[in-house]
Amino acid sequence: MMTASLVMDPHPSVLHAGDTVGQAVKLIMEHRYRNLPVVDEQGRYLGVFGINTLLRMVLPPAVVVEKGLTTAPFVTDGLHDLYLRLAAVEDRPILEFINEDAAVVTSDTPLVESLLVLYRTRTSVPVVEGEERRLVGMISYWDVGSHILEQGH
Amino acid sequence: MHSEDAVHMVFGWDAMWFAGILFVVTYVLIMSEKINRAIVATSAAALMVLAGVISEQRAIDGVDFNTIGLLTGMMAIVAITRRSGVFQYLAVWATKKVNAEPWGILVMLALVTAFLSALLDNVTTVLLIAPVTLLITEALGVKAYPYLFAEIFASNIGGAATLIGDPPNIMIGSAVGLSFNDFVIHMLPAASLVMVVSMLPIYWVWGRHLQASEENRRRVMNYRERDAITDRVLLIKSLSVLALVILGFAMAHTIGKQPSTIALAGAALLLLLDNLGRKPAKQTESVHATFSEVEWVTIFFFIGLFVVVHGLESTGLLTLVAGEILTLTGGDLTVTAMAILWGSAIASAVVDNIPFVATTIPLIKSMAPTFGGAEHLMPLWWSLALGACLGGNGSLVGASANLIVAGFAERSRQPIGFISFTLAAFPLMILGIGVASVYVYLRYL
Repeated sequence: MMTASLVMDPHPSVLHAGDTVGQAVKLIMEHRYRNLPVVDEQGRYLGVFGINTLLRMVLPPAVVVEKGLTTAPFVTDGLHDLYLRLAAVEDRPILEFINEDAAVVTSDTPLVESLLVLYRTRTSVPVVEGEERRLVGMISYWDVGSHILEQGH
Repeated sequence: MHSEDAVHMVFGWDAMWFAGILFVVTYVLIMSEKINRAIVATSAAALMVLAGVISEQRAIDGVDFNTIGLLTGMMAIVAITRRSGVFQYLAVWATKKVNAEPWGILVMLALVTAFLSALLDNVTTVLLIAPVTLLITEALGVKAYPYLFAEIFASNIGGAATLIGDPPNIMIGSAVGLSFNDFVIHMLPAASLVMVVSMLPIYWVWGRHLQASEENRRRVMNYRERDAITDRVLLIKSLSVLALVILGFAMAHTIGKQPSTIALAGAALLLLLDNLGRKPAKQTESVHATFSEVEWVTIFFFIGLFVVVHGLESTGLLTLVAGEILTLTGGDLTVTAMAILWGSAIASAVVDNIPFVATTIPLIKSMAPTFGGAEHLMPLWWSLALGACLGGNGSLVGASANLIVAGFAERSRQPIGFISFTLAAFPLMILGIGVASVYVYLRYL
């Protein structure tokens, strides 16, 4: 049976548990990553940190917190205010901000099910293995697209 | 109570024992919060009926549909009104009125919270105000804790001021036949006094230390409150209906209608106005969205609780307890009023005030013969309302609104610790009850 391992990138860029927000920002902005998996020293998957995490950091906490403001058209913060929020946390470890609840698949997850997760989460999906949830790859739209298109050749 | 109608034996047990034990277990389970309170209350109600403590018809009679209708109607009105952005407007407007001065903002947000809590339910109020508070305190560069603390107090104090402000008042008003105006006349002065007195220690502990830079205050002053209004047409419709409903509450006694009729009529009118011109499919979607914001857990909790208390009452147990209380207080109205005020305050600080009030209402009613008739019980009703509403300030678990704010603070990484809150809140609640005691004594005893 075709599984997630067929379409994943087995050598994805990763962030490490000890990285700071500043280091993560640099990497994400340089390579225009949307989402990066975060791993510990043993290569175990811990969560994801991406461009949406950064956006969350620069917005007022009151609008991103659960049950916070659903709209804030009266707030007049400018770019400098947004930068200040980011600067205030740039030396903090990314572990404080990672999304631990992001959807993941295992290397055994059937292909269609894996793509369904990709379709629903709308961002790259980590592939983990075993009870220790060791990161073994990432599935991105581009990897999937190129694998599908190869079938025409 | 119609104890002559009561069943005397249930499963070979004395019905009074069975109902009493079921009531205590229900109470303990509600307090433990291990099982959803609506599940606990409705299950206990089902057991009361299935065991035959009360008949199905008497169980239905025990449900106070005036309370249920009032709560449901107001929740639906608020669900539609909040979409207009008016509550954010009010909070930002109030903030700018004091030039974004930190202590001034705390006072204004507390006043807005108290005002809204008097007209809406407390949980809705804090859900609306806490996020704006977080936004403003972040912009000011000050801790949110003192603001959220003051808002918790303001929501419970403001809720005490009117018939519709807090569920205990709705239940008392409905059970005794007290009008919206009765509550404004008797409870508003007491709530206002308690509010003023409560703000003094808050100033002394936190307020005088609050400071913000000119730049941060300017950020807040730059907020454009007018832009908070996201739907002007809906705003006009909502405020018009809300004004009509408040007017209806004020005139309810004159026109001979129950508050629930007015609230439900208001909700129906606002639903109609909100959906006029929409296609049927969109209307269904919109009505579904509005009804989904009604807190059905709370509504079913009430229904179950009413049946449980009615079952307990029908066994004559509450009359016995009332007799014991009267023996302890020597049948003296002043001592009984103070016992109810302080007892309900302390109890409401640690247990949910809704079951407490639901149980105490029939208890007080059965004291009527001792004090010369139902018309002489008024000091006791006001004592119960003040104690149950203000007592909610005593700890984080004292009122649902407190827990909502605490949960929000936790998610915002500014946690409100149970112990630290109680250490500050309990003495402040006692101060408020002291003020209420003086008020009750001077005005009614």
